[in-house]
Amino acid sequence: MKAYVLGEFEREQPLYDAARALRAHGHESLDIHSPYPLHEADHALGLKRSTVPIVALVGGLAGAITGYLLQWYTVGHDWPLNVGNRPPHSAPAFIPVTFELGVLFASLAIFVGLLAGYFGFPRTHHPVFEVEAFRSASIDGLWLSAEVEGKDAEPVAQELRRFGARNVSIVPEAK
Amino acid sequence: MTLTPYQGGRRLMAPALVAAVAGLALTAVGGLVDPRRALFAYLVAFVYWLGIALGALILLGAFHASNARWPVVLRRFVETVPAALPLFAVLFVPIALGMKHLFVWMAPPETLAPEMAHAVHHKLPYLNAGFFLGRAAVYFVFWIVVAHLLRSWSIRQDSAGGATLTRWQRRLGAGSLPFLALTLTFASFDWMMSLDPRFFSTIFGVYWFAGSFMAAFAVTIIAATLSRPDPTAFGHHMSLEHFHSLGKFLLAFTAFWAYVAFSQFMLIWIANVPEEVPWYILRIDGGWKWVGIFLALFHFVVPFFLLLSRDLKRTPRALSLVAGWLLLVHWVDLYWLVMPHLDPAGPRPSLWDLAAFVGVGGAAVAFTLFRLRGASPVPVRDPYLEDSLRYLPQ
Repeated sequence: MKAYVLGEFEREQPLYDAARALRAHGHESLDIHSPYPLHEADHALGLKRSTVPIVALVGGLAGAITGYLLQWYTVGHDWPLNVGNRPPHSAPAFIPVTFELGVLFASLAIFVGLLAGYFGFPRTHHPVFEVEAFRSASIDGLWLSAEVEGKDAEPVAQELRRFGARNVSIVPEAK
Repeated sequence: MTLTPYQGGRRLMAPALVAAVAGLALTAVGGLVDPRRALFAYLVAFVYWLGIALGALILLGAFHASNARWPVVLRRFVETVPAALPLFAVLFVPIALGMKHLFVWMAPPETLAPEMAHAVHHKLPYLNAGFFLGRAAVYFVFWIVVAHLLRSWSIRQDSAGGATLTRWQRRLGAGSLPFLALTLTFASFDWMMSLDPRFFSTIFGVYWFAGSFMAAFAVTIIAATLSRPDPTAFGHHMSLEHFHSLGKFLLAFTAFWAYVAFSQFMLIWIANVPEEVPWYILRIDGGWKWVGIFLALFHFVVPFFLLLSRDLKRTPRALSLVAGWLLLVHWVDLYWLVMPHLDPAGPRPSLWDLAAFVGVGGAAVAFTLFRLRGASPVPVRDPYLEDSLRYLPQ
């Protein structure tokens, strides 16, 4: 069973040190929560490039191709339609719908992709919110959370305390 | 931060000056051999290089209007590109002298088709030599005054410091934008759209602007990349974040150009009105068709997908290559816009095209470099310079 280990830090440096130490022990599923942007956090967490742009690009291209083929098949091929005596297959007239469907599919791909692939739908809220003290993540606290196997939870909690974390809590993933 | 005034650029200035003299002299010879062809070539070169200076001026106004902090480190360069505008006022003289070779409405021949003759007659109150030259004078005076004030206030701040001069620049930069948009639009009507007196398209000025604005970003990217190794130049102080943002703008305005180009094309194509549609028939039928297809592919599709790459935008040399390519196809774009009125059957590239392009361009580059010298390469006492230097977008 998975669990989340949370710890609150007062200053940035111990937070980054703790994140790097946990990664050195092989715990890669880390996250940092803070009330303001931390530019160093990306490096400390060893974040790889996000896959969201690829999801958006594939969605957008799929939408554009769908939009064009839909128009070509319906009014250009299956049931040729004479609009203002232009040829049934008129590329310029098809571009606006092609473009719009590309935008629509790209944004839907991001939305559905984030919901399902990143936020773990149908989970409605993240387990870390179970911890009352975690409220300070949007006020003045810097939080490190680690997603670990249940048996690793206690050693990771020890490690966080060693770097000076307060309010160290272990939250099991609700099933 | 203290910086010595910029004194470099000599290595590029000398060849640019040679190119200017040789190119303009050769174009002048062309003017004697075949005045009409040479003037058309000169017109393309003129609107190409002038557009970049105006694009930079509008970019500068937009920076001030949005109270942008990140571009402060590269703003001195963007201020200096429009400082070439007085040169363009001088370079306008050949166009003023050769008007009757360029514009059919100047001296309509007896053999003019009836609908063309009607359009020329109908538009006479607007399209006549006196008003045309008067308008050109108004455009240039306005552009030169705005560019001069924004740049000289910024340079004065290098020694005076304080926030008052920033406030003045913000006000003038933002306040001049609507008038820059109007003068640029009417200039494009006068100098390019009136080549066919029948044709009218309200978005025409935006089309010229879109390509020129993109070209202004391309020039900034190339100048920044070239000046990166030189500690006395602005590129040295820029971070990869600045290049990344400039690359994003290049991507955005490649797409904006395509959007405007297609909007203009599709409305006219779908309406199929006899007054407007001949302008496009000239450009998408016959010999010019392939130029149009080339533009759609290489002014939009290919650079768009290349510029999507984050790594490319964060590699100044690679980004500069794409920027250089876009500068080249932007010239093809303006060639396609102007030249079909000279060669309706299809493109007939001539030596004069190259001579005029190199001549006007060499003069513009040499003059801009000359104006860059003697002033600090970066607005050293701008209150937002620190913000710009530690720019980290998220």
